[in-house]
Amino acid sequence: MTDVTMPSYEDIEVGATAPERRQMLTRTDLVKYAGASGDFNPMHHDEILAKAAGMPSVFGHGMFSMGLLCTALTDWAGPGHVVQVGVRFSKQTWPGETLVTRIVVTGKRTEGGRRLVEVECRLANAEGETKVVGTATVQAA
Amino acid sequence: MPVDRSVVGKSTGHTRVVIERGPVAVFADAVKDANPIYRDPAAAAAAGLPAIPVPPTYPFVMGHWGTFPELQPDGGDEAASGMGEILGPLLARGGLLLHGEQEFEYHRPVVVGDVLVGEGRVADVYEKQSATNTLTFVVLETSWYDDVTGELVVTSRTNLLVRT
Repeated sequence: MTDVTMPSYEDIEVGATAPERRQMLTRTDLVKYAGASGDFNPMHHDEILAKAAGMPSVFGHGMFSMGLLCTALTDWAGPGHVVQVGVRFSKQTWPGETLVTRIVVTGKRTEGGRRLVEVECRLANAEGETKVVGTATVQAA
Repeated sequence: MPVDRSVVGKSTGHTRVVIERGPVAVFADAVKDANPIYRDPAAAAAAGLPAIPVPPTYPFVMGHWGTFPELQPDGGDEAASGMGEILGPLLARGGLLLHGEQEFEYHRPVVVGDVLVGEGRVADVYEKQSATNTLTFVVLETSWYDDVTGELVVTSRTNLLVRT
């Protein structure tokens, strides 16, 4: 967890960012996610089968990437404050890569008495290759 | 073979799931979330929540943990045909199934102790032709309702992509 939380609705500005999270992906991470999610597609944990299918190694679950991104989002906005989150899975993630979250405020609006902040969320590797990108709406204090 | 759009709107089944404390903590660990709110009822209460909440992507996996046979709605299996009808023939032709997009809309926080009923349907099916492949997009939408109050709690949209 980080200690930096989302500013109030009045103070938040377009371009503000949530603290970045960096995570080096390991095979153990993928085994843990398989167990926690019930997704036992062998491409995510069985190196022998993954290589036989032409992959350089096992690769990460898309939903694990989305999960990491949402951890960065709730660290900042607070659990229970996420109204909507939607992402597109663009590239596979590979063990050994460092995955970096980037969450940037793109707008704010009120709707039905709720004060909402729009963000763009992106997970990329350290070289800048985008893995997952999307948008989220969070409720401000 | 053109895509069969007659499945749009068809049900992909009904499921009743129970949100339990242990799996939520295990899942939070798996997505690298150390927040005590997912483990400690006092931390959840301090944040103004009625019970321990779930991480945002937990609705995608909650059926794995909390689907108990004796709690399933009558006819749940029978209705689970829309997805099989569309994906079966595509995969039978050797298609590669990819998860293209995922979206959640939260109408209120999902918390431990909730019993939710999911009603799934095929929201859309469409095809795109690339130079070398046919891409078939299948959008599945599941609306999760509180089993007690009937209120809509969370909506999940999954965009699958089959490359043939």
